[in-house]
Amino acid sequence: MLVVDLSSGRTLREEIPPERLRAYLGGRGLGVRLLRERHTLSPFDPAMPVVFAVGPLCGTPAPTSARLSVVSRSPLTGTVYDCSAGGRFAWRLRAAGLLAILVEGRSPRPVVLAVTSAGEELLPAEGLWAKTVGETARALSDRGSVAAIGPAGENGVLFSNVMMGEGNAVGRGGLGAVLGKKNLKAVTVDGDRTVPIADRERFDRARADVLRLFRASPVIFGEFGISGYGTPALVDLMRRRRMAPTENFRHTVFDGAEAYSGPAIRAAYGAEKEGCFGCPIRCRKRASDGRSLPEYETVSHFGALNGISDLHAIVRSNDACNDLGMDTISAAATLSAWGEARGRFPSPEEIVTLLHDIAHRRGEGDLLAEGSRRVAEALGKPELSMSVKSLELPAYDPRGAYGMALAYATSNRGGCHLPAYSISHEILRKPVASDRFSFSGKARMIKIAEDANAAVDSLVACRFAFLGASLEEYAELLAGATGEHRDPKSLEEIGERIWLTERFYNARNGFTRADDDLPARFFTEAGTEGEGIDVPPIDRARFGEELTKYYRIRGLRDDGSFPDDGFLERQP
Amino acid sequence: MRSLIRKYAGKLHRDRSVADGRVGIAALDDVMISEGAPDLSRLAADVLSRLSCPGVVAASPSLPFAEFLLRRANAGAEAIVPLDTETRTFLHDIPIVRREELAGDPAGAIAALLSGRKGVIAEGVGIVASGPVTLEQAYIHYSSVFHACHVKYILDVLREGFLLPGEEEAFRAFRETFLRPLTAEGLSFRAGPLDAPEEVLSEIRAVGRHTVERGLVDSFFGNISYRAGDTIYISQTAASLDELSGCIDPVPTDNRSTAGITASSELPAHRRIYEATGARAILHGHPKFAVAMSMSCDVKDCPVEDCWKDCTRVRMLGDTPVVAGEIGAGGLAVRVPPVIGGPGKAIVYGHGVFTTGRDGFEEAFRSMADVENRCREEYFRRLDARA
Ligand code: SF4
Ligand SMILES: [Zn+2]
Repeated sequence: MLVVDLSSGRTLREEIPPERLRAYLGGRGLGVRLLRERHTLSPFDPAMPVVFAVGPLCGTPAPTSARLSVVSRSPLTGTVYDCSAGGRFAWRLRAAGLLAILVEGRSPRPVVLAVTSAGEELLPAEGLWAKTVGETARALSDRGSVAAIGPAGENGVLFSNVMMGEGNAVGRGGLGAVLGKKNLKAVTVDGDRTVPIADRERFDRARADVLRLFRASPVIFGEFGISGYGTPALVDLMRRRRMAPTENFRHTVFDGAEAYSGPAIRAAYGAEKEGCFGCPIRCRKRASDGRSLPEYETVSHFGALNGISDLHAIVRSNDACNDLGMDTISAAATLSAWGEARGRFPSPEEIVTLLHDIAHRRGEGDLLAEGSRRVAEALGKPELSMSVKSLELPAYDPRGAYGMALAYATSNRGGCHLPAYSISHEILRKPVASDRFSFSGKARMIKIAEDANAAVDSLVACRFAFLGASLEEYAELLAGATGEHRDPKSLEEIGERIWLTERFYNARNGFTRADDDLPARFFTEAGTEGEGIDVPPIDRARFGEELTKYYRIRGLRDDGSFPDDGFLERQP
Repeated sequence: MRSLIRKYAGKLHRDRSVADGRVGIAALDDVMISEGAPDLSRLAADVLSRLSCPGVVAASPSLPFAEFLLRRANAGAEAIVPLDTETRTFLHDIPIVRREELAGDPAGAIAALLSGRKGVIAEGVGIVASGPVTLEQAYIHYSSVFHACHVKYILDVLREGFLLPGEEEAFRAFRETFLRPLTAEGLSFRAGPLDAPEEVLSEIRAVGRHTVERGLVDSFFGNISYRAGDTIYISQTAASLDELSGCIDPVPTDNRSTAGITASSELPAHRRIYEATGARAILHGHPKFAVAMSMSCDVKDCPVEDCWKDCTRVRMLGDTPVVAGEIGAGGLAVRVPPVIGGPGKAIVYGHGVFTTGRDGFEEAFRSMADVENRCREEYFRRLDARA
């Protein structure tokens, strides 16, 4: 692990104790563990660390595992924050001989951290400050892979991203602003080390099993799967399930959605396959002119959520966010909440200007840069922020999937679909289907999925791999790679430890059951019914009951608190 | 929760995969509930309490094949490895736990194995399976193990004969009283072509139910589709054929929508069969004798190692062509369409049967029953010849 103190400019390579890796794997788990002593610091406190960590599968040919997690505390939500990202950066970090980089302190002037297998240095970056992500990545392209912030991160936009040079984002929670406050413009990594595989035969067998399951999964490699269309494959499905958030979640069906469906994007832009390093799925899509095409969340939120059906405008919004280093979901949702508050959603023409204003905190952009909760409060309409713990909800309406409703509430990083990823069974029927309009059994299903995914984010593998494979095969890959036997259950137990640690940090920072809640709209207003599908408001009492069950299953008190203060001390 | 437990216990009885009354199911929400035969439901609950997943099924199978496989396995073997596609793709192998290992803490021994695999065979007990995401999964995994053991056992017997005391008698009982001929008699089908979406959907639902009720297909393992105009109506992935209400995706053939992302993983095969043959109805299931017989090949000195995916021959079982190919985006969508046109039926190596109907489902249904009946006859002919 590399520790970089930006205040003093000192760097240090140190060993991670093996028992810590056994207890936390790597990635998200390692990052969360490394925050232990400082989890109550303010996100912008110079001493707050930002951890970039890969996992034990990174650098091996394990499918989808050239990923890393970035962990810190979010200025948007105030919660502990992790985000997984792909590209080539993670793989090169491992090739530089590292499992993790921890940056802390605040540099007196803008710098770039340049890491190779031979060593690391801090380079002056005054010349790069104020540059876009694309310009920064190009300027640093001879230094391997780049993770950089854009103007949004420099200017403290609360939903600014760290962007990988390849176009992948460390999204949502505003970690770009945390790096911006540290005056760290970019990190580059390069190296030539390889990762040995302990038991090649076992590893290869597991890898073949995983690939076979990918091929058997319609969601991954099927005719309409994400490999072919990228995540916008979901546009048509969410339309048909009547759960595409429209006009700030006032409706759940948007008639213009066809304009930005998977097939529409392919017809307009070509959609060539691209992926994270070594990934066979290659869900990312690139236009024939080379730019990254938007994901499902992005098209739906710059589309339906703002009432826009102009594909080119949506792609331009995506381009702007990527270049400015800003989260597309939160940006679009904040604009939508603001639009509803002022009685008019922004037009396609306005949006790109507004995005630049946000990134540079100009005019109205200065308020919008604070995210939807603060915007709605400032405008005296707090109920219009469609967020949980200040994190804007993505493009799956919770009235259309009750596991998702519960999972938005319980997520440690705020309103996000990824921690439990319940659309997997509620919508995509993987590995089996569950009844999306029922809370029955969901508390346990969400708990198990949260734990499993915390382990997945620590391996680090991609969420999408689990639309085909399971921890069973990934435990085998891990055993093959490291020579240490692990079964899925022991991985889930690690995930549980990570999850509870995060929740404990949040509790220390003042989060309670009251924060595990959805915006009132979902309990009082119906979604858009039709085509034989009724989308009623969520039954608040039933929601509360399932939340209580969830706490009990987690071993928490009914008010969501920990039964005692000694939790952390008992953890390795 | 209780109603779900009863539902899956009922299904296991109806598809005749458990001995009468010999099933225990435990489900875990915020509290644990278990029902069924007292010894088995206690075991299921004990195993579940160690796994903390949503559900566990413990049952004595209606046929002793899993038990025989366990006892026929080498003394040191920790698992049996059926070679059907279902196992290769989803189960990988089936751990076995012997009587001695069950002595002290049977639930502990079983749970330890279930933390790595979907189902296990426990000597003297039966099959125990877990559901990591839902209770339904425990039922599905039980069915998978039962199916895999069935196929492997009949193949092993054909290859090696009976090795244990009691096997021959049990097998005779299986042949003479357990097996019933498959038939479409007494069922009514709509004559095609069908056009109105409602009519198509209701016929698919009804035929799906018939295939399960008549024992052609295990509920969870198969798919069904109908082509009307430029739409293919197809059962969704992970759907049970006897419960297709709300689980049929209309897929436009011009690919203008991706809403069919939830359609069966065999959609590419169905689509190409329609393109290649002009059929309107397709049925696909995994009847056990057809699966087993497709894996019995007498080609000598064949260079292919992974027959189930790499074999390029078209072999014949009677008048039914047999081809190889993986599920989904793998090979079967390429190899089945060219051979199914004439006979209206084809078997995929180690996997299952596709049959077609030119206008409606009756033809497809009858030919699926016919393929399986003939594979049984052929199987017993070879077995008798061996003796
Ligand atoms: S599936 Fe997509 S996001 Fe996941 S690792 Fe592969 S290319 Fe990256
Ligand atoms: Zn099949």
